[in-house]
Amino acid sequence: MGRYITQRLVYMVITMFLIATFTFFLMKFLPGTPLSSADRLSEEQQAIVLAKYGLDEPIPVQYFNYMVNLLQGDMGVSFQFDNREVTTIILDRIGPSLQLGFQAMVIGTILGMLLGLVSAIYHNGVLDYGSTFTAVIGQSIPSFVFAGILQYFVGVKLGWFPVALWGTWQHTVLPTIALAIFPLAIAARFMRTEMLEVMGSDYITTARAKGVNKFGVVFKHGVRNALIPLITVLGPLAIGLMTGTLVIENIFAVPGIGEQFVKSINTNDYPIIMGTTLFFAIFFILIVLIIDLLYGVIDPRIRLAEGE
Amino acid sequence: MEKLLDVKNMHVSFDTYGGEVQAVRGVNFSLNKGETLAIVGESGSGKSVTTKALMKLIPMPPGRIKEGEILFEGRDLTKLSEKEMQKIRGKDISMIFQDPMTSLNPTMKVGNQIAEGLIKHQKMSKSQAKARVIELLELVGIPDAENRMKQYPHQFSGGMRQRVVVAIALACNPKLLIADEPTTALDVTIQAQILELMKDIQKKTESGIIFITHDLGVVANVADRVAVMYAGRIVEIGTVDDIFYNPKHPYTWGLLGSMPSLDAEVSELYAIPGSPPDLLNPPKGDAFAPRNQYAMQIDREQEPPMFKVSDSHYAATWLLHEHAPDIDPPEAIKKRMTAMTSAVNGKGERV
Repeated sequence: MGRYITQRLVYMVITMFLIATFTFFLMKFLPGTPLSSADRLSEEQQAIVLAKYGLDEPIPVQYFNYMVNLLQGDMGVSFQFDNREVTTIILDRIGPSLQLGFQAMVIGTILGMLLGLVSAIYHNGVLDYGSTFTAVIGQSIPSFVFAGILQYFVGVKLGWFPVALWGTWQHTVLPTIALAIFPLAIAARFMRTEMLEVMGSDYITTARAKGVNKFGVVFKHGVRNALIPLITVLGPLAIGLMTGTLVIENIFAVPGIGEQFVKSINTNDYPIIMGTTLFFAIFFILIVLIIDLLYGVIDPRIRLAEGE
Repeated sequence: MEKLLDVKNMHVSFDTYGGEVQAVRGVNFSLNKGETLAIVGESGSGKSVTTKALMKLIPMPPGRIKEGEILFEGRDLTKLSEKEMQKIRGKDISMIFQDPMTSLNPTMKVGNQIAEGLIKHQKMSKSQAKARVIELLELVGIPDAENRMKQYPHQFSGGMRQRVVVAIALACNPKLLIADEPTTALDVTIQAQILELMKDIQKKTESGIIFITHDLGVVANVADRVAVMYAGRIVEIGTVDDIFYNPKHPYTWGLLGSMPSLDAEVSELYAIPGSPPDLLNPPKGDAFAPRNQYAMQIDREQEPPMFKVSDSHYAATWLLHEHAPDIDPPEAIKKRMTAMTSAVNGKGERV
């Protein structure tokens, strides 16, 4: 197991190197320069600024310099935010995104799984239709519509929670709900399908033939087997949510990283683009690793043989 | 002989969008302690549904036991609630399933799957259950039980998994063991081992066994009595000798005729023409009539009752009616009958 993780971490470094390389060159294809107010600067002034950031060098040299710095843990400074360190900016901004994404994911998944379970157990009953309907609604209506509805009714009319901005936990409630609806719908749909399939399988009949009661059949024998495909879908979804969602962050004025990322692309803020991409990549790879390890926990057939 | 199970006029139907599928249409049989009854018949004849209905394991809805009684030790199982059935399943009646590759939970340790019933029904502690699991695994012939019980099903071969399935079924020493084609998915040598194992255990525990199969070779090997099912009914029931050497129903003739034998002169196997009827709309009269070359006018109009051949032997065919013409069974069947007569004379060997 230890060896497997080490191996995966080595692959991770290689992946990171490749991603850094690709992003670097792709980014250089972006039209425009970081100098947003270029028309107000004279040729010489522009040259001075570009030289200051090493942007006057040939691209391969820039690439080499960047990689050398990166290896030393230096991601450079932002062009647009008063030369602040990229690392500091990302760390400042990732917090709210991570928190919102995590909350939405946990709440959405748990509620979704429960809905799916109820659906499967009361297959073709009123509860099933109700929860399937909820899932379809949740999946087909975009989150910003929910965001608006929540802001208007819960935020403005009822006044239960703040409409926008960031601060106390109350501020996180509405964006979390808005974000949670999609994973909830996905989890409910998958859980329902998987549970129905699992409940029809032979080993469930075996369990029933042993005299196991309905609760035991569903939770001891059913759920665990239904979880495997669910994790496959939820993993990438979790990454998407936790790395910031531009729309929701904008609507609720949350100082998250999603908004930051888009802004840095629009302004050709190279160090921020690179830094955020690499950060997302690390995050992505780590989650994929965690998912792979989770598979092993849930399904012994996927578990790695000892000493392998 | 003490009667363990008495099934009276059991009807099982499934309500589908297309209408009511009458999977089992009035089945009667009984089983004594320590006895083995084989139920044979082609796919779709209602064998599995019959036995699943005994444990009320058919999905309800769409399935339902429409009428009839299932008297197990005098108690009518059809009247019991799901909760009461849970106390009987796995304890008094247990089941061995057909496919060992799918009938074990892939994410649960084998030992825990066996112990589950013990902890539930016999209120054993974990350590008591563990000891019993090891005992059971040894009983079904799994070596190194102590380590094997901590493994998962995918670490076992098909034959070994079926032994685990048998161990699960035997865990609480059930009075009635239902084996639904327990050896169909296994290769022949493993088949023989599993059958031996079941016979051994039956000797020790005195349990009654209902054995579903479409392999007549297995029937001859394990059963005391045989029930032949067709289209949701038992068409002939009798001792193994009755069915193998003095069959009366044309369907039984067809089944026996389609069984390969080593000393047959003809190399071609007999196949019963046609296919079983649609149980959504069961035909009027004898369901087998359309495929029966001996069918008479009455077969198409009225269902035959069970005619008594001997105290142990009954068959539902109009051919046994006193007014029915005498007909010659097929050659292969006549040969069996002669073989039987010579066996009775003291010498001949079973075919």
